[in-house]
Amino acid sequence: MRLPSSLLLLASSFCSALALDLKGQILWNDVCPGKLCHHTEGQARVQLDDGRLHSGITRDGRFTIPNVPKGIYILEVVAHDHVFDKLRIDVVETELLPEVRPYIPGTPLSPPAQVLLSYPIVLYARAAYDFYIPRQSFNVLAMFQNPMMLMMVFTGVMVLAMPYLMKNMDPEALQDFGKHQSKIAEVQNAFQSGDIKSGFSAIMNSGEEEPRSSGSAPAARQGTPTSRNRAPKNKRR
Amino acid sequence: MRTIIGLWLAAFVSPLLAIHASEAGAIDWHKALIGLPLTALHTGPSFHRTEDWQFGATQSVVLTATASNVLAALHPENGTVAWRHVFDERDRVIAYKAYGNYVASLSGPGGATFRILDVHSGVLIVERQLHTPESGRLFEPTSLGIGLAPSAESDVFILTDGHQLRRVDGQSGDVQWEWASQDQASLYVYSNVVSTPSAIYLVGLAKSFASYTVHITAFSPTTGEELSSADIPSSITEGPSQLFVLSNKNKDSHVVWLQDGRIHSLRLAPDLKGKASVTKGATYKKLLDVKLCEDGQIVGIKEDGSGRVVKLADDGSLKVTWEFKNSATSKQYSESIYTGGKDMDGAPYIARVFWSNILRTASAHVLAPHLADGKGLVTGFTFPFATHTHGIITHVALDAVNPAELRVLSRLVLTTSTGAVQLWQQDQLQWIREEGLSDIRAVEMVELPEPKVVASQIANEENEAFSSRLFRQLSDAQNFPQYAAKFARRFATGSYASVSSSVASQANASVPLSRDAFGLRKIIVAATTHGKVFGIDSSSGEIVWSRVYGLGWAAEVGGRIIPLKMFVTRAVGDADGATPQVAIVAERKADNVRDPMSPMSLLPDTHFQSLTDTVVFHVDALTGADALGVSQDKDILQGKDVIAGSCVEAFLYQDDDAKFVLLFDEFLQTHIFPDTSHNYDVFTNVVRSLHFPLRSSSETTRTLTGHRINVEKEFTGKHVAYPTWTTAFPPNEDILSIITRPSSSPVASHGKVLGNRTTLYKYLNPSTLVVLTGSLPMAKAKSCGVYVLDGGKGTVLYHSILPASPSGECNVKAVFTENWLVYSYYDGELGAPDQAKSHRLVSVELYEGAQPDDKISSSELASYSNLTTHVSVYEQSFVFPRGILAMTTTSTKYGISVKDILIATDNSQIVSVPRRFLDPRRPKRKVTAEEAEEWLIQYDPLLPDDPKRVISHRYQISYARQILTSPSLLESTSLIFAYGPHDLFSTRSSPSGTFDVLSEDFNKLQLVLTISGLLAAILVTRPMVSRKKVKERWYD
Repeated sequence: MRLPSSLLLLASSFCSALALDLKGQILWNDVCPGKLCHHTEGQARVQLDDGRLHSGITRDGRFTIPNVPKGIYILEVVAHDHVFDKLRIDVVETELLPEVRPYIPGTPLSPPAQVLLSYPIVLYARAAYDFYIPRQSFNVLAMFQNPMMLMMVFTGVMVLAMPYLMKNMDPEALQDFGKHQSKIAEVQNAFQSGDIKSGFSAIMNSGEEEPRSSGSAPAARQGTPTSRNRAPKNKRR
Repeated sequence: MRTIIGLWLAAFVSPLLAIHASEAGAIDWHKALIGLPLTALHTGPSFHRTEDWQFGATQSVVLTATASNVLAALHPENGTVAWRHVFDERDRVIAYKAYGNYVASLSGPGGATFRILDVHSGVLIVERQLHTPESGRLFEPTSLGIGLAPSAESDVFILTDGHQLRRVDGQSGDVQWEWASQDQASLYVYSNVVSTPSAIYLVGLAKSFASYTVHITAFSPTTGEELSSADIPSSITEGPSQLFVLSNKNKDSHVVWLQDGRIHSLRLAPDLKGKASVTKGATYKKLLDVKLCEDGQIVGIKEDGSGRVVKLADDGSLKVTWEFKNSATSKQYSESIYTGGKDMDGAPYIARVFWSNILRTASAHVLAPHLADGKGLVTGFTFPFATHTHGIITHVALDAVNPAELRVLSRLVLTTSTGAVQLWQQDQLQWIREEGLSDIRAVEMVELPEPKVVASQIANEENEAFSSRLFRQLSDAQNFPQYAAKFARRFATGSYASVSSSVASQANASVPLSRDAFGLRKIIVAATTHGKVFGIDSSSGEIVWSRVYGLGWAAEVGGRIIPLKMFVTRAVGDADGATPQVAIVAERKADNVRDPMSPMSLLPDTHFQSLTDTVVFHVDALTGADALGVSQDKDILQGKDVIAGSCVEAFLYQDDDAKFVLLFDEFLQTHIFPDTSHNYDVFTNVVRSLHFPLRSSSETTRTLTGHRINVEKEFTGKHVAYPTWTTAFPPNEDILSIITRPSSSPVASHGKVLGNRTTLYKYLNPSTLVVLTGSLPMAKAKSCGVYVLDGGKGTVLYHSILPASPSGECNVKAVFTENWLVYSYYDGELGAPDQAKSHRLVSVELYEGAQPDDKISSSELASYSNLTTHVSVYEQSFVFPRGILAMTTTSTKYGISVKDILIATDNSQIVSVPRRFLDPRRPKRKVTAEEAEEWLIQYDPLLPDDPKRVISHRYQISYARQILTSPSLLESTSLIFAYGPHDLFSTRSSPSGTFDVLSEDFNKLQLVLTISGLLAAILVTRPMVSRKKVKERWYD
């Protein structure tokens, strides 16, 4: 094992003479438009691995990394304001042109991606960094658009308007409404107290009760107000 | 997808950190530096003027290459940076040449890389490697063997490596042709390239016995064909510095050199058959290039030191056109600096700048050779250069205008020995840049004292007459209406002191520095290698004070002061609470001491080339006043010689009683500064408990040796340290750095309660330290190491081997706080199936015992206890998307806030990485309910690249060297100061959010509206309810 590896090392030292110049271009796009982008970026550069091999980016977006020996590299654009893709570059001894593949940071290098990209390398800015968060400004309209606020306003309005509504209602409709209300309250109470079973039965019953409602409902109606009103009377005595 | 999850996670973890656009510039500041200008001929500052063809206006910039490896352009109107191009550290800039709208540069050994930039915007137009940096030849000086000559067709002729010539297209960077000499610069070394329409000439020297001879080769500009080559009979002893090429108006070029004190010249023609001519008359000591060779002007220094302007006349003869009066060497003046410049019309001017020892001012004599009917006109003026605050002038660049006949106005750009760059317009100082700050070696942030409330006399209230009391009280009350108005306004609008506003005071120099409500304002004391220490206001970046170090006895011979460490010897809260003080421990390297009376003078040169002493400068942090009381405020700052020799280590000892610096010399003798008897008493009381590690090396191994200090004095009257333990590192491993915890880092909690109600107790042994190692240059297998050692015994608690870069360098950065170590490295290895080339960040936590709930009280253990090795280690590695240049943690007053890691990245940002991302206990599966209770998040190898965490936002902080953090009075907020060769940057960070002040986003209006709404509702419903109640009683 030792022999082949040392041979490889020897071979690689010979190969360093066969190093190639890695060429590519950054295409200006809407995210990073031409001269403006070059100006804000100041000094973006393209580098391989940890930056020993690198190149500046000229006015027209071109770059050339000179004398790249054979090997597998990660090519990245070191830019202050923009996000660029990372690429995997394989400089192979037998071929004149390097292999270019997409690379997702944090993923293992082997097996290499199946997709081969064209050479010379073409890159463009994916996004511009946005460093700031907008300040939350106060807006009365937005405040009232808040669902909680809407509910509050609605409840407030109902509290004020309810007595008048009740007053204007037809007495029969009022009876019906009161009955319906008590039923809903019953179901709600059952669910709130955790007694789901009785809650369900209340829902079930509501259907059954419908036909004989004429008989039982008035009794219930009579019962509840009296009991409610009796208590203060008792107290007064 | 992964990035999206990452971003989502980032948003989830803490949405509080990012800054608002309105806060940029208010809570932070950024100062762009260019570095100390390199004052050599091809790199020093120079004016360059371009003309706008459309409008006919001219625009000028000051170009310079600097020691920070930057090519920069300054606006001469205000001194701001027009642009700067930062070169890679392996690619030093060695020459630049401006022509038209472009500036060309050569960098790297022998001029390996060639670039063309736009002279006004700094945009890169061409970058081309001419040869590999490894194959480049290193000449001394570096500017030898290179040359740039722009042609008329915007191509550039480039001489590199002393023997290669290329013609490169100025727009595309393509090489049109190239030529290399056969002998590979072994015999001929070319130093100049001259471009003429008919031929390109390389002028150089050929080695011969005892001296050099001039060698010239001519080429065809279009094909690069060698036309002719000639050795000119000559003998130059000085080397290439006395070889010039001058051109006159007729575009005739002449090679000029100094031989035996006389100027020789030779006309350049493609056939090289001309004969050298010799000027008669005076003999010269040396010739000076004043950057006017293209205008045929040069300055010759006569034997007596006086300067003469020598001009290549149109007929090709050399003529002395001017001699500067009183320029001979004299005790009354310093040595003159000659410099050349041009005006808008391209007419040349030559200035002589010198310091007058009698008048104590600087003077400039500007010669306009073309004025006064070609006889020459000299305009002289003196300007009040402050030598006590800026050292001496090392370089001058000249720009001149000729507004009226016989009237010359000039602008001078001065570079001084303390790193200042100044522009003087005649005798008016226009602006000043302190470029010495690009090389800060020691820095501290010092807390400011509270503002002094001016209380009018309270002393004799007892026996005060009624009238005087009334008067006093009235005068005290006169500010009341103002106060009441302020109070009302504050109450109504809610404009309280806020953490996101600037705390910089309005420019008012008379008020002494004092802290703001939250202690967000401090003073940054920064000691540079260029002989100056600065006090910088941390809220605005303004320089509050600066002092120049005195050289002590070495002032006679010259020397350098290199700061080693800085300690705050008196802080605001201390018992003897006057103003805070800072001690700077520095090394003074005196220049070659050659005292013929001294017995040392018999020794060979090498023994006393630089005599090193350790000096301590002690200053008041608020004013820069000498705390030793030796030097005057306006004078240079004198230090105290503490050790006659170098200092191996210095520490600050502090307890409730005293604060002093302990210094150890080469013989491990202890020196105390300040050397008071009180400090000595405290020292003798605690001497038994002091221990510290020192690096030592033998032939093959490097060791770290723990030392204690002997209780008994030696015969020298000093306590001497002795070794107690030694940790030997593997052979071929070198200690690169020792990292200890930050000196003031209070620990708020000693353990971490887990989801299952057990506790992990933090390992807080105070003597723990981190050692970073790297391979020695001769080692075969290169690797780097990280060790955590118990500094009391030398036991290794944690060890990790990291890969080195292909060139064998170790670029490991580490930060250690409480029980938490974070280190970074580049993993460039291929092999293991899941290996990826990436920057790694490893988070390591040390806890007591083998499992949760094991407790050994490590913070209080005696250093000899065996229990100190009972440690469990949790570690996890993460992929960081960027290269890491510097790393530190935030620090707060009580240590309650979460500690974030601040990282300076290779794309010129400073990023704050939350602790929660770096928790080594992040589970590698879905989080359980218990883990969710601890706020753990699932492990993801990749740390997200989130722009909202870039605390430096739009500022570019390139090649940051160090980040310093310091607590403010607010527990939530940490002050940050980052510095490097190109930038100074300061900001604040609140890793846990500003929990101790009302948030900026707090909506006071909404609160008021809600309350008033509720109030209105109550007002409306109350009568309704009472009416209803009454009704109920009536009708029921």
